[in-house]
Amino acid sequence: MIWTGLLIGIIFGVILQRGRICFNSAFRDVLIFKDNYLMKLAALAIALQSITLLLFAQMGVIKLAPMPLNWVGNIVGGYIFGLGMVLAGGCASGVTYRIGEGMTTSWLAGLIFGLTAQATSSGLFSNWRKWLTNFSVTVTPNSTVYAPKVGPSLATIFNVNPWIVTLIFAAILLWYAFGTKTSQRETKLNWIWAAILIAILQPIAWWASAATGRNYGLGITGGWTNILSVYTTNKQVNWIGAEVLGIIIGAMISAIAAKEFKLRMPKDPKTYLQVMVGGALMGFGAVTAGGCNIGHFLTGVPTLAISSILTSIFFILGNWTMAWLLFGRER
Amino acid sequence: MAKYQVSKSIDVRGEVCPIPDVETKRALKDMKPGEILEVWIDYPLSKERIPETVKKLGHEVLEIEEVGKSEWKIYIKVK
Repeated sequence: MIWTGLLIGIIFGVILQRGRICFNSAFRDVLIFKDNYLMKLAALAIALQSITLLLFAQMGVIKLAPMPLNWVGNIVGGYIFGLGMVLAGGCASGVTYRIGEGMTTSWLAGLIFGLTAQATSSGLFSNWRKWLTNFSVTVTPNSTVYAPKVGPSLATIFNVNPWIVTLIFAAILLWYAFGTKTSQRETKLNWIWAAILIAILQPIAWWASAATGRNYGLGITGGWTNILSVYTTNKQVNWIGAEVLGIIIGAMISAIAAKEFKLRMPKDPKTYLQVMVGGALMGFGAVTAGGCNIGHFLTGVPTLAISSILTSIFFILGNWTMAWLLFGRER
Repeated sequence: MAKYQVSKSIDVRGEVCPIPDVETKRALKDMKPGEILEVWIDYPLSKERIPETVKKLGHEVLEIEEVGKSEWKIYIKVK
């Protein structure tokens, strides 16, 4: 069933490439360019996914699994990841899909991201991660839509039916998406369609991944550490590793088909150093926080996980800090 | 060979996001009304984003010329 990861990854890669979906840009553009195009895409995707995921869970097809809450890990990791994505020129998914477009800076950023994530999860920095588990909070959820032991969600802390909070949450995001002015942009896949496609893909991804024993939806970080351990220690490819490979392949097919594939290299080689530092911060931050902008922001926030909401706030704050330092002081 | 009387030209091919946008904004700030800026890019996202950013700043996009495989030159008239 590992091949479903590859297939879903390819579809996700095409959507990311055509929709130009990068969460680093989404967060940064709101602050630096006063452009909300990608932020709206993200808001709409999260709103729709919160409904499609809950629908699948209600039907018993999947069991939602909000990640454990970890105040220290979520805040520290989220902020460091946020700083790193600006330096790396893309978030975890942005860097991954740009590898398929031939962006050589992303090749290096992705590799260092994966290596540092692996070092933090099971290598040199693994004691840090082990120490962090002291702060992990899980609960026994109040609804059968959840797996038996999960991190707290908005529904479990208020002890209400998940549908109530989900519908309120989705309504707020839908109001933001359609009730406010959207920045213009000419794209091959507009923000509304991209969000709808992600909302359809996500619960299917969750179901397919759970069938292989990994009860979670789309992600990036775990896939990178898997791919590297396949390469260095001959481990088996797992679902999420196949999904990340799929994203790269999908983005490459999509870029070649659109005549957008090209080996792109910056003139100043210092840029390579910058993206390496960014990749390292992202790898360390993502594992510390328990997930990247896909695992926490795109997949976790729709499950209303407190951990994911908290981490995402710090992704944005870290992103804004670094973006302001690099690009924001002249306007 | 030049199509326009270009006063300034920047080559931001291969640069990471959002350097092309930021460099364009920086270049425009130092230019006088009527002058033309040429921005050389190779990333399709820049082709979609930069014209919108520039229009929002009140400048005029004269042309987006395809100059090679996934390479474009954007000509911007400063207002």
